[in-house]
Amino acid sequence: MAGMKVKKTSPRHEFEIRLSGSGGQGLQLLARIFAHAFSSEGKVVAQSQSYEPTSRGGLSRSDLVVGMSEPDYPLATNIDFMLILDQVAVKAADGVISDDSLVITDARLVTDPPKGAFRVLALPIMETAIGLGNPRVANIVAMGALTGEGNLCSIEIIEAAIRENVHAKLTNLNVKAFQEGLNLVAN
Amino acid sequence: MTKTAIKKNAGKASSKNAFDVMSYLRHDLFPHFLCPGCGHGIALRALMWAIHELEIDKDRIAIVSGIGCSGRLGAYIDANTFHTTHGRPLAFAAGLKLARPDLEVIVITGDGDCLAIGGNHLIHACRRNLDITCMMLNNEVYGMTGGQVSPTTSEDRYTTTTPLGNTEAAFDACRLAEAAGAGFVGREVTVQTPTLKNLLKDAIAYNGFSFIEVISDCTEIYGRKNDLGNSPEMILSQKSQMRPNSYGGVIVDEPFRPNALPTGVLSTNARPEYGETYRNAMASAKRKK
Amino acid sequence: MTKATHQQNLQGNHACALAAVAAGCRFYAGYPITPSSEVAERMSLELPRVGGTFVQMEDEIASMGAVLGASMGGIKAMTATSGPGFSLKQENIGYGVMAEVPCVIVNVMRGGPSTGMPTRPAQGDVMQARWGMHGGYQIIVLAPASVSEVYGQTVRAFNLAERLRTPVVVLIDEVIGHLVETVRIPDPGGLDIQQRNWAAVAAGEYQPYAAGDDMVPAMARPGDGYRAHTTGLTHDESGFPTQDPETVERVSRRLLGKFEHHRAQIDQFEELQTRDAEILIVAYGISARAARRAVREARSKGIKAGLFRPITIWPFPQQALTKAAKKAKRILVPEMNAGQIVLEVERVAGRGRVKGINRIDGQAVTPSDILEAIGTGD
Repeated sequence: MAGMKVKKTSPRHEFEIRLSGSGGQGLQLLARIFAHAFSSEGKVVAQSQSYEPTSRGGLSRSDLVVGMSEPDYPLATNIDFMLILDQVAVKAADGVISDDSLVITDARLVTDPPKGAFRVLALPIMETAIGLGNPRVANIVAMGALTGEGNLCSIEIIEAAIRENVHAKLTNLNVKAFQEGLNLVAN
Repeated sequence: MTKTAIKKNAGKASSKNAFDVMSYLRHDLFPHFLCPGCGHGIALRALMWAIHELEIDKDRIAIVSGIGCSGRLGAYIDANTFHTTHGRPLAFAAGLKLARPDLEVIVITGDGDCLAIGGNHLIHACRRNLDITCMMLNNEVYGMTGGQVSPTTSEDRYTTTTPLGNTEAAFDACRLAEAAGAGFVGREVTVQTPTLKNLLKDAIAYNGFSFIEVISDCTEIYGRKNDLGNSPEMILSQKSQMRPNSYGGVIVDEPFRPNALPTGVLSTNARPEYGETYRNAMASAKRKK
Repeated sequence: MTKATHQQNLQGNHACALAAVAAGCRFYAGYPITPSSEVAERMSLELPRVGGTFVQMEDEIASMGAVLGASMGGIKAMTATSGPGFSLKQENIGYGVMAEVPCVIVNVMRGGPSTGMPTRPAQGDVMQARWGMHGGYQIIVLAPASVSEVYGQTVRAFNLAERLRTPVVVLIDEVIGHLVETVRIPDPGGLDIQQRNWAAVAAGEYQPYAAGDDMVPAMARPGDGYRAHTTGLTHDESGFPTQDPETVERVSRRLLGKFEHHRAQIDQFEELQTRDAEILIVAYGISARAARRAVREARSKGIKAGLFRPITIWPFPQQALTKAAKKAKRILVPEMNAGQIVLEVERVAGRGRVKGINRIDGQAVTPSDILEAIGTGD
């Protein structure tokens, strides 16, 4: 793909991802697309979630534990890649990220990101989504940024997973959002 | 009737034969448990008579009952009989009918079983409209537990838990069933046995949920406690309080049960039977896929 | 939908529904309750495809009644619920035990007591599952620890229910119920699916509750000509109520004895490095997954840790535990409750060496909770 950055690290076999934000930001869908993509590559995924009894607002998070076989413990305990799309979700980083972790936040919605020795990338995710004409694709923009920066999965496989999991009418928009997300971390 | 006088089970019934209630009963359980003067036995006879005239194969009949005096009746019937938990026969019957639409499912219940602990199941059975016949025996009292007040006990009546007279209002079960959407609703007193039999025949033949309230009598506990006389006196007095086929504008303003009750077929409607509706909808959804 | 045998990402509750259909379940009655509702939702979609029936009843009690009604009609039947609904179902589950009506009850456990935390995990219904009803009875309770095991144990629940003519409870914690894992669903054709023993003798010779050597009476199907009577009252072999002390003693012993007779079929457990274990973890469900990692990490540090995981938690596998705990100086029992199965472990292994690790904060037990209790020196 044109404009793709050179991979910083070799692809990982075992890692944990936490996708966090507020309810209604599409984090569960994001987790489902990621899970679909990883398992298409032959990996084994355990996807868990934490949510409030109401469907909108409040902290929402979805975790992925990815490996080559069924994990002993399927819940995330040591997050390698963390996405934070809302200030309310910053607390979801407490105690589970380490110095090696990568944290991607939305530059506008996360005003006070977690602090530590780990790398924090504040990106214009929501702004990019609005630029595409639909703030609801912020989750997919974030997916592009995470995938590119973390070298999580082959681009083609993720795009195929997006096509299978979003409504046909919205496929092009979502694929575009994913590419824009990749571009945010492309240099 | 003595045990030796009981005829052998006659097998599949036919209306060509004269109706013999004993050919529909299990003989090994006699003598039965009902008190002298209890109206439940008459209702049981009317139900067997209706089944006889409808020529329903006994193997296809499923009787589902709950707890209380009414609940014990099922055991006497020579059919597939299920004596379930208190208040729940309509729930068991719903599962049975959905799983086995080929069975003729008849629920025998009482005023406490059906209107108090099982009240929620009654209104939803009426709404759902599965092809189930519900015969509720209303004797205005919890007889098996010794005579406590029930949701249909008339005002001022004495029971073991209303020693100073009942201060609560009584349900009109038929109006409740009608309002909840029951397809066929009727009421009859036991003394009018042939009329009750005909009403039950229509109820069983109706393709949907039918609710029949049988005004029964508990002479031994309720009658005695309230000085209502012996059994013939009680059922004749019931008869005098009924207004055959006069349902309509007459009692609509009365929120609860009035002193005089209409009898006969009180309401019918032509709603589709739920089991068929479900199966057809699922089959057509499958075809579209 | 992805074809069977293909690898797929499947939620625990959905795996439960798919397994039920594969096991021959053709009737589901339920009432919505978090965190079990996905079982009902999936069943409402899957059952019509195979000619089965789904019904959402007016309440939890009605759901259990309808399941028993359908099963007495001869159809394999199931319901799913969570703690509060499980409480409401108890009387009718007891009816199923007494009248010997096969059925499967899935309980996806949430925080409690009372309404508790509907979306948070717990393992607080272990004792309710065993002792929720009144009277002396035995019940089978299976506790899967992964999505693929939810599938396998749900199939097994139906097999045990049908073969032993009894309600079987599948006890899943919210973590496993809502967990999505990459699993390979077995080809339905390759599954061992067992059927109920139907009455086949002449109608006049049939005794509804007379059992042969296997202690499980053959069941009459309505319409097959037996015209049997079924009741929750204590009944003799004819199916009719009795209070004759000698008869009551005999039939009650048979009702309890059939479980002991089939114990080999009922029992199931997993052992991980128990042979030389000086520290034994006894855990089930998600807590056992935490224990699995804790044991491996402890072993990597030279600590002789092992895991005993009952999959069938009731009847409790006491003989197997006694054997696994032979060398254990300490036995740790992590649970998401205030201490339930730990009481059973104490009964079997003696109180002195048993200690519970109890989380009652609505969070899953973690490997570090267990490692801390093991004391790795970290």
